[in-house]
Amino acid sequence: MLFIERLEFFFQTVFNLAADPFHLAILIGSVMLGIMFGAMPGLTSTLGVALLTALTYGMDTATAMLCLLSIYVGGTYGGSYASILINIPGTAASAATALDGYPLALKGEAGRAIGLTTTSSAIGTLISMLFVVSVSPIISFFALQFTSFEFFLLAFFGILISGTLTSPDLVIKGWISGFLGLFLACVGRDRLQFFPRFTFGIPELDSGIEVVPVLIGAFGIPQIIQVLKDRFIIGEAQKFQRILPEFGTIIRNIPKIVRSALIGVGIGAVPGIGEDIAAWVSYGAAKNTSRHPERFGKGEITGVLSSEVANNACVGGAMIPLLNLGIPGSPPAAMLLGALMLHGVTPGPMISFEHPNFIIEVAAILLLASLAMWVVGMLMAKQVVKVLRIPTQIFMPIIGVLCMIGSYALGINIYNLYLMLPVGIVSYFLIEMGYPIAPLVIGVILGPMADENLRRALMVSQGSFLPVITRPVSLILFLIIVWTLVSQIPFFKNLKDSLLAKILPRRFRKSATVKKD
Amino acid sequence: MLEKEKLRKADIYSGFVIFLFGLFIVLLAAKMPMKDSWGGVQNVWFVSPALFPLFVGGVIMLMGALLTRTALKMAGIKAFAETVRWLASKDLFQFLISDSVIRFYAIVVLFLSLVYLTIPRIDFFLSAILFLTVFITMFYFDDDQLLKKLFYFYLAGIGVLIAYFALGLDAVLGRFVPFSGDVLALCFILAYCIYAWRLIRFRPPLRKKYRTSLIVAVAAPFVVCPIFKYFLLVPMPTEGLIVAVLDYFWYFEF
Repeated sequence: MLFIERLEFFFQTVFNLAADPFHLAILIGSVMLGIMFGAMPGLTSTLGVALLTALTYGMDTATAMLCLLSIYVGGTYGGSYASILINIPGTAASAATALDGYPLALKGEAGRAIGLTTTSSAIGTLISMLFVVSVSPIISFFALQFTSFEFFLLAFFGILISGTLTSPDLVIKGWISGFLGLFLACVGRDRLQFFPRFTFGIPELDSGIEVVPVLIGAFGIPQIIQVLKDRFIIGEAQKFQRILPEFGTIIRNIPKIVRSALIGVGIGAVPGIGEDIAAWVSYGAAKNTSRHPERFGKGEITGVLSSEVANNACVGGAMIPLLNLGIPGSPPAAMLLGALMLHGVTPGPMISFEHPNFIIEVAAILLLASLAMWVVGMLMAKQVVKVLRIPTQIFMPIIGVLCMIGSYALGINIYNLYLMLPVGIVSYFLIEMGYPIAPLVIGVILGPMADENLRRALMVSQGSFLPVITRPVSLILFLIIVWTLVSQIPFFKNLKDSLLAKILPRRFRKSATVKKD
Repeated sequence: MLEKEKLRKADIYSGFVIFLFGLFIVLLAAKMPMKDSWGGVQNVWFVSPALFPLFVGGVIMLMGALLTRTALKMAGIKAFAETVRWLASKDLFQFLISDSVIRFYAIVVLFLSLVYLTIPRIDFFLSAILFLTVFITMFYFDDDQLLKKLFYFYLAGIGVLIAYFALGLDAVLGRFVPFSGDVLALCFILAYCIYAWRLIRFRPPLRKKYRTSLIVAVAAPFVVCPIFKYFLLVPMPTEGLIVAVLDYFWYFEF
């Protein structure tokens, strides 16, 4: 399709969606709901997308995507409310925002901070939208050259990198979590020979484990248990007056915004890595390149701006591998993958042939969602903030009921509930012991892809692994995987650090990372 | 998440459990056809359904072993011995009956009873109301002594429900009383509310919380469930007394 035609379709989609009152109501309602989910400490955008997926069952694909993407965008932004007003991040993605957002609120500048996060989040989403449109055809072109070996290695890499970067403790725990997800994906009849694997004679397991109940269980149930067991109480929110869009500050910080957006898109595009890591890396980069790093943590505007641009830019970034490779870039994107499959859209390299306009539709929805988020943030922030007054002991049980009905409604199968609860309880114990949950979910999603492609590749090569090193893309992926594994071995870690210390200039050496606590 | 030192101690055990789990996967995968015929197809190792599970199980075993080794190296054998001693001491019992662990039991029991007992057998509205009433009052009162009393009362009620269904009384009573299981659940909800009221009636701040809890517990299912039932046309997992009444009004059957 010609560029002009694509552009025309893009604006046509934007206009069609914005002109229809039903779609507009869904857009505004979903963004508001997303913001509420993000703002409530204990609830996340992933859970919001997971629970609302059931409600989109009867909608057409475009409306469902409008609803779910708006929740995703709103949820990622909404976390900043709690960070700024009560110093408790609404979501992990906004934890970096609290470092400078709350000191600003203490200085009586909460309205300014919220205005800035609103505008910068909208800009972050818009920049990431541009990347979705421009990078997708390139990735899709390369992905079409991929064979089964590349897809297997890509899935394997996704699980390893997700395990490496999301593990709060030892990296090996992230990998274990990913492989446990792969095991769950093995349950059911295998797709090549229909042999029942790990079904234990239970007919309901023959079709395999449904992704949505696993996601709801893994993200919802541990959250409820943690919040109520540890008696989590939301503190008193700081007061704020007017919310200003802060265009002046935004214009003065354009280079920093672009840098943060690039970090967000880049990290979002890495399989399984969420908005939280993007926000921290961007915050660290802003601090390390600042002329006044000592101001960070004391109410520095750039700190708020960098983390908020990056975490919202991650939304579009996460859509790039999701749409073009079928590999989710973040946990909410994993949920979107499940929702897309429910609506008969299989993301992957073939998407540009099967649904030629789908990526443009997604970009149009991202544009509308970011605009709606900005409008809702500017006009209704005071009303939305009222959700912070609801005690956790009241809303968490309601979330429990929503988890039940959400898991059940997808497939109208009570067996989903029998599956969701054990997954939730096991996930709670895993989280308590320092295992990240995102790789587990990514494992469940990528498992069938890894399994099928490994066997298909070996079938073509008659059992030979030689194509892994004879095909250039395979070789690159294989070397990255080997590097990811080897770089965690203490000997190589020390070697790498000492080499970097010799090569890099002093100012970069001290930078390293920003501590999360 | 646990503290670092406790994590390393826990890792020794969790690594071992993961190793065993990996072994379990490998053993089950080894029984899958590798070279035998399945469905008329002669297998070769590289298309066997066992290939991927063997790989996954093998890696899980390896990583479990590595985790145990790393944890032992970092925490030391002494820490391992300390943990074993703690597991054999009275401290374990004290831990298991501590307030935060009882809160954990309460949450898990509530979920288990909802999913495995009430949802498959009792009208979904009633199941949700029972779940929310108990859940919200237990935690919203924010008093561990009250939580324990309410939790034990709930356990007793759940015991009655289990006995009722396990003994097949629902089938017997169902012949005389329509929706007998639902009526029993309704009685349970009322009994629980009366019991909770008796516990807090002389504590004015809790009386307000009690009222709020009941309003939310009843209102929430009546907001959420009709959306699924009547707008998305998703039938409830179990439709009984309340759904029948709602259907009656929704379809104007009078």
